[in-house]
Amino acid sequence: MSDAALRERVKELVVECLFLDVAPSSINDDDNLMEVHGVDSVNLFEIVVALEEDYGISFEDEDFDVETFSTVTSIAALVERKQAEA
Amino acid sequence: MMRGAPTAATARAAESSVEIVSGERLLRAVVHLPSHEPPRAALVFVHPFAEEKKCSHRVFVEMARAAAVAGCAALRFDFSGCGDSSGTFPEADLGAWRRDLRAAFRYARERLGAKRLGLLGLRLGAALAAELAEEELELACLALWEPVVEGERYLTLTMRRSVMRRRLTAHEGGVELDEEGEEEDEAAEIDFDGYLVSREMQEQIAEVDLLDEPKAYPGPTLVLNLSGRAKVSPAMAKLASQYVSGEALPVRQEPIWSTVGLVDAGPTIGATMSWLTRALGV
Repeated sequence: MSDAALRERVKELVVECLFLDVAPSSINDDDNLMEVHGVDSVNLFEIVVALEEDYGISFEDEDFDVETFSTVTSIAALVERKQAEA
Repeated sequence: MMRGAPTAATARAAESSVEIVSGERLLRAVVHLPSHEPPRAALVFVHPFAEEKKCSHRVFVEMARAAAVAGCAALRFDFSGCGDSSGTFPEADLGAWRRDLRAAFRYARERLGAKRLGLLGLRLGAALAAELAEEELELACLALWEPVVEGERYLTLTMRRSVMRRRLTAHEGGVELDEEGEEEDEAAEIDFDGYLVSREMQEQIAEVDLLDEPKAYPGPTLVLNLSGRAKVSPAMAKLASQYVSGEALPVRQEPIWSTVGLVDAGPTIGATMSWLTRALGV
């Protein structure tokens, strides 16, 4: 999957898990998801589970920090790294 | 006004607190009775585990009231060590909870005056309801809300959610994990967001596997997949397919079992009531 496609998928998951009534494309790659879109630990958890199911990857406890999950760009980078490690 | 037409007052279901004996334990429960008798059916509600019970309490109340208004009695009870029931949470184990559920089911059968009984469970409560349905094949219906289908994965995800919450809120003054806190795997008890869960309970939950084999229960079975996704997850679809009369439905609903604060559970309750109408004619 291309980098752009991965980012679009992350945006779709953000919209689904936050029940946002916006088009995924309206989320900017570098929007701070917590500050701009109200992502909290509950819906971030749902995003994480969905990413694991969709991409066949597994996150570790140490992956969970505010910076790593702050933007679409940073989440996509983590997914790419996990895919490379798999 | 036409004589006998229901008013707001008469349409309101009666609610009363009751006690159910389960071995040496006393379970506290609430009965919701419809305004007319006898009830068209009765539902026994099976609550989820630990913090998930607390988060979903209000949703269960609203669902029970909706069922009662539709003519279906409801019984909500607390497992041993939960809510107002006797016992303590760290002492709890699934064996005792299975006995509690059977005791609640017997109570409903003997005391609620309904000829047809159903079960409605959420998360781990749904898994326990599904187990009981394999023994009570005469059950009128089985509603499973986002059931835990693989206990081991459920434990892993629940622990991870706790770690995520602590890590992600540490910068806001939340609790930082220390090395000791992250090495709980071998401890006799683990901390599930403030609930101490015994090693025995952990092992029993890990053994839960709803996907292992086709189900004997032949009655109408609803598997509600509650998420932001428009389609049913593979696990939920597989579970529904294992029932003779199973049906999996996706419901666009935020996680009612992990959301703190009031949740609009209208989508979940609406989907369940529509299904009950089809399944039971309530």
